[in-house]
Amino acid sequence: MGILVDKNTRVLIQGMTGRSGQVALKTMLEYGTKVVAGVTPGKGGQSVENIPVYNSVHEALKKHPEINCTAVYVPPAAAKEAVIEAVLNGIKLVNVITEGVAIQDTVQMVNYAAANGARIIGPSSIGVLTPKECKIGVLGGVKEATDKIYTPGSIGVISKSGGMTNETAWVVRSAGLGQSTVIGIGGDVILGTDFVDLLRMFEKDPQTKGVVVFGEPGGTYEDKIAESIRKKEFTKPIAAFIAGQFAEKLPHGMQFGHAGALIENGRGVPSVKIKLLRDAGVLIAETHDKLGEIIKEAI
Amino acid sequence: MRLYEFESKQLLRKHGIKVPQSILSTSMVSEMPFDGDVVLKAQVLSGGRGKVGAIKLFSDGNEAKDFINRLFGSTVLKEKVKSVLIEKAVATQNEFYLSFLYDTDTKNPIMILSKSGGVDVVELAANGGLVKMPIDLLLGLKEWQARDAAVDAGFSSNIISKIAEFAMKLYSLFLAEDARLLEINPLTLTKDGELVAVGALVELDDDAAYKHKDRIYSPRFVGIGRDLTERELLVKHTDEADYRGSIKFIELDGDIGFLAAGGGGSMAAMDALIIAGGKPANYAEFSGDPPREKVYALAKAIMSKPGLRGLWIVGAIANFTRVDHTMQGVVDALRELKPDYPIVVRRSGPYEKEGLQLLRDVGKEMGLDIEIHGSETQMTATAKTIVEKIK
Repeated sequence: MGILVDKNTRVLIQGMTGRSGQVALKTMLEYGTKVVAGVTPGKGGQSVENIPVYNSVHEALKKHPEINCTAVYVPPAAAKEAVIEAVLNGIKLVNVITEGVAIQDTVQMVNYAAANGARIIGPSSIGVLTPKECKIGVLGGVKEATDKIYTPGSIGVISKSGGMTNETAWVVRSAGLGQSTVIGIGGDVILGTDFVDLLRMFEKDPQTKGVVVFGEPGGTYEDKIAESIRKKEFTKPIAAFIAGQFAEKLPHGMQFGHAGALIENGRGVPSVKIKLLRDAGVLIAETHDKLGEIIKEAI
Repeated sequence: MRLYEFESKQLLRKHGIKVPQSILSTSMVSEMPFDGDVVLKAQVLSGGRGKVGAIKLFSDGNEAKDFINRLFGSTVLKEKVKSVLIEKAVATQNEFYLSFLYDTDTKNPIMILSKSGGVDVVELAANGGLVKMPIDLLLGLKEWQARDAAVDAGFSSNIISKIAEFAMKLYSLFLAEDARLLEINPLTLTKDGELVAVGALVELDDDAAYKHKDRIYSPRFVGIGRDLTERELLVKHTDEADYRGSIKFIELDGDIGFLAAGGGGSMAAMDALIIAGGKPANYAEFSGDPPREKVYALAKAIMSKPGLRGLWIVGAIANFTRVDHTMQGVVDALRELKPDYPIVVRRSGPYEKEGLQLLRDVGKEMGLDIEIHGSETQMTATAKTIVEKIK
């Protein structure tokens, strides 16, 4: 059983008729994810890959009341309304894949979801995957490749970087371990769900024996892991790789990576994050390829 | 996007917030536009201008004129000075600090207020002189909240309402203009008892640009601290000419060419290369399944740099970026530039077999010193391989 999605997850795709929505649909169906409906206003009555399209979330839920998760593939300007529509209609898990959402829109939808007991993963999330049970998004690509990287096991994986999510799951797999749930939380400044939110869930999950984390410069989400460990909210072994230390050795002011990777007022510097985490007992991988061995030893 | 101070102040003026009387000079001046004391401010994007002497107060018109004319053509914080803001000095009674930004702790906007302005916010934070007031975006900033912040910051009763009123105006600008950061430092209380935004810094949210069709700021590349090189410009233009995928390129001082896939992946790879003792000749990254032509332009820019001793082509296990399509662009550049130094490749993902075979074929045909890895080797582990090879 995954901490967010599993074989009982019934998925709606908002923006299913768009290019990336269609690609995601095919990949998810091939993996065995139960996608039951899609929404694109004005395209109700059509279907993609034999999955029906509805005009609104309300209409989709009338026909498919079992929907308990939505994947948001709408353009950035439409993301906020799509999320609020889903939450207002009672969907409790919203995975926002859309990239480039305006920060004010993100804050609005994150607040709105929190006030209504719903969880947002993203924006800019690559998706969520519970091996052999359910995949939201395109993690791993085609089924054959996905099965090579992802297998049921004891390690939770959390990554800010979408592109490094496969690789992070792969170093775990290469160490002879499998994954419990794998989450791409996105690299934006404001995240619906951050590391600590997920660590609390992994703590309660009996399948998860340890967690690996791929962090990036900027923000305080990594720093809060240290706090959470001190408060004993998370007590299992945890290994982390924080990317971007090289930038501290380059001429001042150069910026790399994602929007969230902006370093403001001396906060969010990778070396500072690493020190905070190490002091709290997080096992730090100096290079990314070491993550697998480190967590294996720790559990 | 970070705005220049004069642009920030235009925005403030538009929203009815008082700023000093000023004139922007973009060329040498023969006489000063104002009588009395003036403050001259070099317009560059980096912070800390005061500390490097790029902001100065003058009482004497001739001295001021000389200073402006010296600023033009000079470099301040690694940026060429193209304009100078000439401001009429305000009669200062006191200086405060006020800013709005998004806070990752509360996942909401936050107001930061301090009674001691004019110094760096980092210094203020170190002295514990800051008050942080989280704002619920759905409720908005309440005027009593702003007054509470002023009380906590130690302002006296006679000025608390004035500060709160000013904060309300600023907050509505922050939202209306989709700013990510709005900082007034110093926020000056004049001898006449007026609040004036003497220092201003605005960063706009590029993701919200579509809501502001009237934004007409010149393109800028904050953060590099120097003008773009010819090769960097070429890559930038190629990137902008085609919306599919993206390519980024920044030249550095080392001798190992670096071509990586993905933002997070490129950072992890750069870290590994430096830890392995390698010196990158550049930072380069492609994302979002770019067409062959874009990867070719990027690979060519990397390989065109004189003095390279090695090349590392590196990427994670891609979800949907096709390895064969993107590596075709690398092959095109290899054929053209015929490198004689060692090359190490690690890439995986869709059509990995075909993509890596393309490289093997061109390596054999051209007699290249090329070593190729797929997912069987960990991505960052190949940093050591390239560093060993050029020893």
